[in-house]
Amino acid sequence: MTHPEGPVVHDPYTLPANDNVNPYAFCVDLDGQWFLQKGKMIAYYGQVDFHAIGHGPLDHLVAANFHSPLHASAWVVAQGRGKMLLADRAYDINSYDLDDGNLTIRSGNLLAFQPGLALKQSIIPGFLTLIGTGKFVAASNGAVHFVEPPIRVDPQALVGWADCPSPCHHYDHAYMRGILGGIRALTGIGGASGEEHQFEFTGAGQVLLQSTEELMAAADTGGVPGSAGPGVPGAGLG
Amino acid sequence: MATFRLQGTRVLAVDLAGDAVKAKKGAMVAYDGEMTFKKMTGGGEGLRGLVTRRITGEAMAVMEVKGHGTCWFADRATEINLVGLTGDKLHVEASNLLVTEPSLRTGTTFTGLRGASQGNGLFTTTVEGTGQAAIMSDGPAIVLRVTAGTPLVVDPGAYVAHTGNLRQQLRSSVGLRTLIGEGSGESFQIHFEGEGLVYVQPSERNTVGGQI
Repeated sequence: MTHPEGPVVHDPYTLPANDNVNPYAFCVDLDGQWFLQKGKMIAYYGQVDFHAIGHGPLDHLVAANFHSPLHASAWVVAQGRGKMLLADRAYDINSYDLDDGNLTIRSGNLLAFQPGLALKQSIIPGFLTLIGTGKFVAASNGAVHFVEPPIRVDPQALVGWADCPSPCHHYDHAYMRGILGGIRALTGIGGASGEEHQFEFTGAGQVLLQSTEELMAAADTGGVPGSAGPGVPGAGLG
Repeated sequence: MATFRLQGTRVLAVDLAGDAVKAKKGAMVAYDGEMTFKKMTGGGEGLRGLVTRRITGEAMAVMEVKGHGTCWFADRATEINLVGLTGDKLHVEASNLLVTEPSLRTGTTFTGLRGASQGNGLFTTTVEGTGQAAIMSDGPAIVLRVTAGTPLVVDPGAYVAHTGNLRQQLRSSVGLRTLIGEGSGESFQIHFEGEGLVYVQPSERNTVGGQI
């Protein structure tokens, strides 16, 4: 028995349904299937099976909702009934609802999504795009901030973006100018403040930023299969 | 009687009036008043404890903090959770135990394969008696109740501690698909049955089973 002033004790009935338990853990009220990144489940009540994405009983589900061969080994399908807790290295966890929308997110930040959404590999290497209607769960290093374009953001602080056109690189003019800039351009050697390169967003939509510039570790999934052919960004890297 | 107060979630203040607490070695960050810090070999469990901890690898570098005043403890900015015990037994990894009251006895117990899959060895630390213990977790611990009708499954890397009368069983679902690289990433799980509380952290230690 614990003291009455002890911590909050959760059981399957008091755990939230599809909501955060605290800023670092999310509880899925599972009745059917969810896609999960491997190893992000910390505990569950009820009957849940984990199926690898590949040949298996969930082939048609995977065919309809999962379109990224490079990420297949990092994802599983949780199937069953119960309350399931998700967390990732004690980072901040948030859930988002998409209503017939699209959102692109850094691949290491996405934890889980409902099958109403389809996961596709973005043409920006290292990013994934979710299309459809449903809930997804993402981690960020520090709280997430929503900003609207036009905006330039630090590459490391970028978590993802929704609805707006994909970003382009932006280099400060001073970075390319003058003798030092010429040397830098020719040799790749030179000083830098670390802030002369940004991602630039235009159009209507929302950009998601995290409050640090520390990237979350993620499997290197920058490329697309080498056989993709000419004109495919990132082809041959993966 | 030592009193434990959390200051924020990552610093523990302990008020002492001539009595002593056992704390993880090096976890003191500040104190006022008069304090003495004494290294306790073998977890302060005597010669038998010393030998047991050496053999089991459940090494616990512990110091005795004694005096009058307030002593503050913290360890690498990990979250601290207070556990009040009234005669029951707390199972916790030695590396997650921060401070215990003198009225609590600590010891080691065999956990079987669960420990091995956690990368924590085959043995765990037990804390018994009546009083308060402070345990650490990576991110605030979530306390989950296990009853006869609601068994719980926990990822070995997220397990921190448990209390009560629980049976635990390591289950694995390593099969042919794991061998050909189609593992589910959740192949090793600890099943808890019985009556009790399980503390899990919102983070996973690197475990042998983590990638399988």
